[in-house]
Amino acid sequence: MTWLPFLIIIPLFGAFSMPIVSLLKGKAKEVWATIVSFATLMVGIQVFREVWSKGTLLYTLGARNPFGKADFPIRIVWEVDKFGAIMVLIITFVSFLAVLYSIEYMKHDTGLEKFYTLILILELGMLGIVITGDIFNFYVFLEIMSIASYALVAFRNDTWEAIEAGIKYMFVGSLASSFILLGVALLYGQYGTLTMGYLAVKMAENPTIVAKVALALFLGGLLFKSGASPVHMWLADAHPAAPSSISAMLSGLVIKAGGVYAMARIIFSVFWPALNPITVGWIIIFFACITLIVGNAMAVVQEDMKRLLAYSSVGQIGYILLGLGIGIVAYGTKIGEIALAGAIYHVVNHAIMKALLFLVAGAIIHEIGTRNLNELSGLAKTMPKTSFAFLIGAAAIVGMPPLNGFASKWLIYESSALFNPILGAIAIIGTAFCTAAYVRVLFTFFGRPREKVLNAKDPGISMLLPMLILVLAIIVMGLFPWQISDKFMIPAARGLWDVLGYVATLMGGG
Amino acid sequence: MKKALAFLSLLVIFAALLLATHPDYGIKFGLSGKDWLKYRYTDQYYIEHGIEEVGGTNIVTDIVFDYRGYDTLGEATVLFTAIAGAIALLRPWRRDENE
Repeated sequence: MTWLPFLIIIPLFGAFSMPIVSLLKGKAKEVWATIVSFATLMVGIQVFREVWSKGTLLYTLGARNPFGKADFPIRIVWEVDKFGAIMVLIITFVSFLAVLYSIEYMKHDTGLEKFYTLILILELGMLGIVITGDIFNFYVFLEIMSIASYALVAFRNDTWEAIEAGIKYMFVGSLASSFILLGVALLYGQYGTLTMGYLAVKMAENPTIVAKVALALFLGGLLFKSGASPVHMWLADAHPAAPSSISAMLSGLVIKAGGVYAMARIIFSVFWPALNPITVGWIIIFFACITLIVGNAMAVVQEDMKRLLAYSSVGQIGYILLGLGIGIVAYGTKIGEIALAGAIYHVVNHAIMKALLFLVAGAIIHEIGTRNLNELSGLAKTMPKTSFAFLIGAAAIVGMPPLNGFASKWLIYESSALFNPILGAIAIIGTAFCTAAYVRVLFTFFGRPREKVLNAKDPGISMLLPMLILVLAIIVMGLFPWQISDKFMIPAARGLWDVLGYVATLMGGG
Repeated sequence: MKKALAFLSLLVIFAALLLATHPDYGIKFGLSGKDWLKYRYTDQYYIEHGIEEVGGTNIVTDIVFDYRGYDTLGEATVLFTAIAGAIALLRPWRRDENE
């Protein structure tokens, strides 16, 4: 018995039953969403433990094995390797906290039954992406995730910025998705299968120009979804305009599940036999360097708190892409392994820290009603717990040693400096900008109180509790940086590199 | 300048797609005989075994609801999401609390 199917069944059931549950008046929909996302978190933990004890999981939908009477897969499979399991865990964790946070944060809004339906579907879409082993199925779940996030970005339909950001995100996002669909169509036309592992087999036999064109389309679409510069503009509008619990999920999870994870999966598990690692790796490194500099530098000049956090997300995606790119170019070496492990580690860390920072920003907006940093001076006097949470989050994202951001950034610095000193220097410059941005915010918070913040107070327990859990996660993970890296991140990076193992798990049939 | 660049890159993408769908270099059209079995082996399997394995005489529905039923579930979810999103965004504006 495997727990894996419940990862899809539970959020799907929760989302589809939400319109019925919300016929009950009162708090029924909030309670139901919390129960469903908590159950998903429990299943996520189980799936993580299962993958860690038994190795890569293979699950065929509708039959015992994916083959039937043929010697190639004819059914949709799920294949969860170690990286996938880490993503499952972090997605279910942050989603649960975001739902919990929404109970108090969203109580002044209307249309909440649609809100909770959409937030569960967003979680469902990301889980579908990270567990699937079928490339068309990946597209379907990418679309579920994207459509739910378009609607959630524009959820506050009485503000002009939400509608503007939603329209912008939807127009360019659909274009990026259609690139990916076009890539899937080309691959099917050339290789006649949609299973990721078997596509890799077919590509090893016959690497064609079609595969290269399809890879280019995939990379274009996925770089957009991950918010890499020069296509990061949707992100800087969408994250500030969305409700804060949604910004936490968008910034912590969506750009990683739909962008970075998908890119790593598609490069390593599908295209690896057909591509030239040096070219593809350096293309990703190139975009990573631009993203690092542009994202972090733009964060310094922002006046709007959530926009600052959004640009900082762009900057952090740059680090993750840098690690991924080096992991591709330096395949099979120690440097590449460290870089890829650092990228995976930073995916997890950034999801936690940025979720925390956006939840803090949400609490401040909820209490004071402004996002303008200049008006928030002296916040530490009236909202001490919230400001403390921000302090921890900011210190972690800059990479202060006792906190979790240090180890992942260190792995990326170390590997990039060993790989190419110029890349190391660029990474350091990015961090300098990042530090400047956050120190500026902290100075504002600890400054002389303005009258606007004098009447503020810390939010209620259901908003403070998710922040507290995230602060604890940051501190505890910060205490065991190298243990986590050796035990979880390096095996995950090796598992991602192990293309033959991925294919063998599929063809072994399970 | 930006527009010209965008147009130019569209041309490049278009040329690459033309190359990828040129029968001499990339995807072939109107497959038959040996090529059919080489490129459409999955389809051949569905045609041969669809009736006995699934029981429906319509191969498309056999594939869409049995072999790849999970994708159909996903498509239904997309539709549900689109509807939920549309009615969420078309709901009346909330009024100010002091009104």
